[in-house]
Amino acid sequence: MAQLGQHETLTQQLIREMGLSEHDIDRRKRIVGLVPLDLERIGKIKDLVTQHVDELANSFFDYLAALEEGRPLTSAGARLERARQLKRDHLLAMVRGNYDAEYAAQRLELAVLYSRCNLDLRVFLGAFHHLLKNIGLKVMGSFQHAPLEGFEAFMSLKKIAFLDIGIIVDAIVFERERLIRTQQDAIRELSTPVLQIRERLLLLPIIGVIDTQRARLITENLLRSIRANRAKVVVMDVTGVATIDSKVANHLIQTVTAAKLMGASVIVTGLSADVAQSLVALGIDLAKLNTVGDLQGGMEEAEHLLGYRVALDGDRVNGAPVARA
Amino acid sequence: MAVPILKQGDVLIASIQAALSDRDLLQLRDDLAQRVGNLRCRGVIIDLTALDVLDSYATRMIRGIVYTAKLRGAETIVVGIQPDVAFSMVQLGLSLDGIATALDLEEGLALLAQEKGVRALPD
Repeated sequence: MAQLGQHETLTQQLIREMGLSEHDIDRRKRIVGLVPLDLERIGKIKDLVTQHVDELANSFFDYLAALEEGRPLTSAGARLERARQLKRDHLLAMVRGNYDAEYAAQRLELAVLYSRCNLDLRVFLGAFHHLLKNIGLKVMGSFQHAPLEGFEAFMSLKKIAFLDIGIIVDAIVFERERLIRTQQDAIRELSTPVLQIRERLLLLPIIGVIDTQRARLITENLLRSIRANRAKVVVMDVTGVATIDSKVANHLIQTVTAAKLMGASVIVTGLSADVAQSLVALGIDLAKLNTVGDLQGGMEEAEHLLGYRVALDGDRVNGAPVARA
Repeated sequence: MAVPILKQGDVLIASIQAALSDRDLLQLRDDLAQRVGNLRCRGVIIDLTALDVLDSYATRMIRGIVYTAKLRGAETIVVGIQPDVAFSMVQLGLSLDGIATALDLEEGLALLAQEKGVRALPD
């Protein structure tokens, strides 16, 4: 029951995020050309579809089962059962003549289910077409006395089918993009760690491309960490930044200046020979920055600033040998 | 609201508690210049911990205060700039070039003692 409740809220959330309002649904109806006459025509085949609903729903899943690509859904156990039930409800709702927000919500629930099973869109479309074909055959079979009337009714139903496809395709694509969005957020979070390596000394390794958005994030992260760790020196390593142009250099300077305002000095390391040359060629003035060739040099400089002395076991410091800790 | 100025050893501490009007800043500058001379102080700390915004005028005034104190013979450290304030200052292109900054009051006092030999407390 709890799972059902969760599902309900997921669908509602999706409706809100996709902006699937009454107005939007009306627009969608307009786009597929649904008019009152269509509802009347669909009413003529309502009983027919309702009568054969199980047979028709099964044809959809049988078609999927015959396809290798349909396996994600047909081997999904509980989800398959739920999908069968929803598809049956779908067929009944298609001919009921009431295509409102609730109808759209039902389509979304099915779409979420497909996307959770990683069912490919083209596979769904294939099976849905097969289902429509079977409905068409049933309609034509029972309207042998008036084929034109049957065809018109079927075409009206097809408008509803395309309305459904529009909603389902949008939802599946939206779900897929959600995955991309969350992954992007995760990458962004992961890619700007601020590490404390000694008391009052932070290391900020930057890897990848720096754009305005990311530079902002890096700076904010760093400033927060400076305060949280009471840092005095920060070593910013840009070995992993492939190219540095004037924009990136500007971001770096801004980060350094902001850190300085909080009383922390920044040492920039890892500017490669190529990068250094191109910066000089571009005429970018990095004189404000305290730069050291590599990370090791930067660490040594930072330790010097903080008054650390690193000694090997057995080295003599102030005349006395260093004891093993 | 006038800024209280506290004397501690050789150091004057001005703790800014609320957003300041232009007149408050001018008064702070005058008070500090006078007190530095009268009390023969050699260090000044301006504490901005409580500020959540710093505009270009205030930045310029703080720079003015620092230089005035310098001419009167006292070194000034600006302390307690918050992360958000630091970030927006950089975005707006406001800088405190050539002015010593520290994380907080404690750090500022340590910096004065270490770099300038000015002590708030006798050893």
